[in-house]
Amino acid sequence: MTNPINPSLLDPDQTTASSDILIQLEADLDANFDYGHQTLEVTSGVVRILEKGGVEVLRIPMTEIASARNEPLVGGGRLELTTKLGEIIPIISYTHTLGAKFSEAARGIEQLAQGKELLVNLKRELTRCIKCGRLLPEADGVCPACVDRGKTLIRILRFVAPYKKQAIFLTVLSFCTTLMNLTPPYIQGRLIREVFEKKTNLPLLWQLIGVWILIAILGTVVNITRDRLTAWLSGNVAADLRSTVYRAIEFLQLTFFDKKQVGAIASRVTSDTDRVWGFLVEGVPYFLLNGLTLIGVVGVLIFINPLMAAVILAPVPIVTFIGVAFWKGQSQLFHRVGQKWARFHNHLNESLHGIRVVKAFAKEDGEFTKFQQRNHELRNAGVHADARWFTIFGGMIFFTTVGTVLCWAMGGYLVASGKLALSEFWMMQAYLSLVYGPLQWFAAVNNWFSRAMAGAERIFEVTDMEPESYGDRAKRIDITGEVEFDHVRFGYDKSNPVLKDICFTAKPGEMIGLVGKSGAGKSTTINLIGRFYEPDAGLIKVDGVNYKDIPLQDLREQIGIVLQEPFLFNGTIAENISYGKPGASFEDIVAASRAANAHDFIIGKADGYDSMVGERGAKLSGGERQRVSIARAILHNPRILILDEATSSVDIETEKKIQEAIQRLVAGRTTFAIAHRLSTLKNADRLIVLDRGEIAEMGTHEELMDKKGVFYKLVQTQTAINEIIELGTINA
Amino acid sequence: MSIETSKLKIFHEPKDRLRLTVGDEKSYPTVVPRWASPISYPSRYLSLTDAKGTEIVLLDDTSGLDEESRKAVEFEVKKRYLTSTIHKIIHAKVEFGATYWSVLTERGERDLVTQSLQENAQWLAPNHLVLLDVDGNRFEIPDITALDPKSTQFIAQIL
Repeated sequence: MTNPINPSLLDPDQTTASSDILIQLEADLDANFDYGHQTLEVTSGVVRILEKGGVEVLRIPMTEIASARNEPLVGGGRLELTTKLGEIIPIISYTHTLGAKFSEAARGIEQLAQGKELLVNLKRELTRCIKCGRLLPEADGVCPACVDRGKTLIRILRFVAPYKKQAIFLTVLSFCTTLMNLTPPYIQGRLIREVFEKKTNLPLLWQLIGVWILIAILGTVVNITRDRLTAWLSGNVAADLRSTVYRAIEFLQLTFFDKKQVGAIASRVTSDTDRVWGFLVEGVPYFLLNGLTLIGVVGVLIFINPLMAAVILAPVPIVTFIGVAFWKGQSQLFHRVGQKWARFHNHLNESLHGIRVVKAFAKEDGEFTKFQQRNHELRNAGVHADARWFTIFGGMIFFTTVGTVLCWAMGGYLVASGKLALSEFWMMQAYLSLVYGPLQWFAAVNNWFSRAMAGAERIFEVTDMEPESYGDRAKRIDITGEVEFDHVRFGYDKSNPVLKDICFTAKPGEMIGLVGKSGAGKSTTINLIGRFYEPDAGLIKVDGVNYKDIPLQDLREQIGIVLQEPFLFNGTIAENISYGKPGASFEDIVAASRAANAHDFIIGKADGYDSMVGERGAKLSGGERQRVSIARAILHNPRILILDEATSSVDIETEKKIQEAIQRLVAGRTTFAIAHRLSTLKNADRLIVLDRGEIAEMGTHEELMDKKGVFYKLVQTQTAINEIIELGTINA
Repeated sequence: MSIETSKLKIFHEPKDRLRLTVGDEKSYPTVVPRWASPISYPSRYLSLTDAKGTEIVLLDDTSGLDEESRKAVEFEVKKRYLTSTIHKIIHAKVEFGATYWSVLTERGERDLVTQSLQENAQWLAPNHLVLLDVDGNRFEIPDITALDPKSTQFIAQIL
């Protein structure tokens, strides 16, 4: 079978006569683009492609190569070499699985072709589990099948450690419950033997009834205490778990959030912790209690009459087997119902969110048809799962009944033939009901356990992930605001760099306008400045220091960001403005709002600064949200300011107000601004024109217009399309 | 721009570069074919763009091209679209939140892992399924009812 083989830096001696192989990567597609193998081999003097069996199909001397790159294709990529004559030669294709590796190889080839030192990272990655051979969900990741469930359980139980006393007390209470469960049948047995059969000895009757009542009361107290303690303990453990996961997620690198949907991340905090919680609150006590009871009952039954015990316990393995065998398929069906629910829920959510559009296009019927489709899928999945469940459950009840019938048949025979006392028979059949009840659910426990462990693994996956490096959080550095990009290269997908070799220095207080077509790398540059991502190569320096050496929180506290779509939290306007500076005085908040041209609209609202902004600021208009976010940035008082298309989605009147506010905001701060309308950047000290991830031009607005280069063309195009609105000349 | 398909000549010149000439009027040294709607219309609406990504012409399908041009375009398309269509599901199993698949595609056999099927198994139509594996590779099943019963059963069990 063809498997995606991961590239590796193999032992050179093993594969070829050539002694100086520097890069050797195996692709997962052959020359016909079918799944297969082709190998890229790079030495200091030559790039070769080998087919299966080591047959060389291509050889290009290093001296002829000018550059190399990964050309992204649909579903994969190919390595392309550009010769010094300008000819582009595609040499090897691969799927997405290997894109990043080949991109790194391309970099390596380029370094070699340019006579530089080979600096690439092509370490061998595991794609399959060493133990079971299964494909790993992530290269070098954890194999979910081979994860040590015992270890995971111990890690979960560590969350119980702070509540050690309560946990021990809970275990003791469980023992007590078991003992008390075992007592009533014993009392019943004695009553039959010593009171019923003898028909005298009434004082003993009252005595035993008294004990029984006492045990019932004691049992109730123990049960209530135990359940309350369980609820308290599990509630605390679950809250700790959720806090741990949330705290870990907060500090994760943004690349994690890029790969996952918000819902999927949220589910780690909610449903995964919930699974673990469910297991701790119900699974562990259930297992403990019923496990102890089972052992106790079997012990007592064997003690009373081993032969009878063997007969009446005979259906136990059958019931257990049925449970285990059928539960597996059943859990998959339940899983499927869950999937259908999610699909149903998604559709419902979407159509309700978009109800205005649905109505505007008169698409109620169309949406209903889709709804019905999902609804029927859900119904069918539910009916199928439930029908199977009740069938199996019925079967299990039958075998339980068989157990009871066997008990009466065997017991009846033994009692009638005088080999078993009536009291003993009664005790045995009473104990029997204690076994079969919980037994039906024992099969589910394995699945329960597995699901909880899988949930726990997902939780630990997040908590174990490398967080952003925050540096020494106690260290404080005051930034003056010089920002330098020193040969910076970066790509969200490492196989496809968005920024290539970017170099510039922004002086403190300078306003830099970032210009370029969409996809040129403007927003990426800004993301790097905020250190939401870190460069793949090169350095970013703030005040001459590699910004990785500045504590992250310190750096971010001195960077302010105003986004195109500002995000406000559900709360009052005042709370949102003071988000970056909690505890700011009301006077400061008002001053910031005035500077942001927001004060007037705020006091126009019934509750003024106490007006609630709604979820994500939905109760404010786009322009209002923007001005609140500017006030927030002003109050935050950052040294470095980032404006990402801050005025693109508002009307002209509002834009004027926002522009005024921005002029006040940028004064004295190093500012990086992206604006859709190029004329709004007229006030920038310098413009950096980006083109396909590289700096095409740099200079003032006038210089670049005079140069009649890329920027000039961009302005011309925009002038032709839109009427340029003069906004950049408002006085601060 | 309206261009008559019969006027188009597409060929490789040099070996690795697709070139397009429109009658005697114009020649494009580098042409990239892109499906306009590769999933809904897998073999229709082919856009030919120049090296900068500007469309030269949108073909309804490749049948109007002469034999040589059609072959050249189809070869280029095969090189560009490295996604796979699943013909058969040999095995599939859900374990611990991941789904392990072993499938037969038009490119041969392949093992893959998918996670969170809620996001990575997308139904484009009631019988049209797209699976995205953990590396972002795309595997398409245009019509699940056209698969053999065993494959269909795997899908029914898992999704």
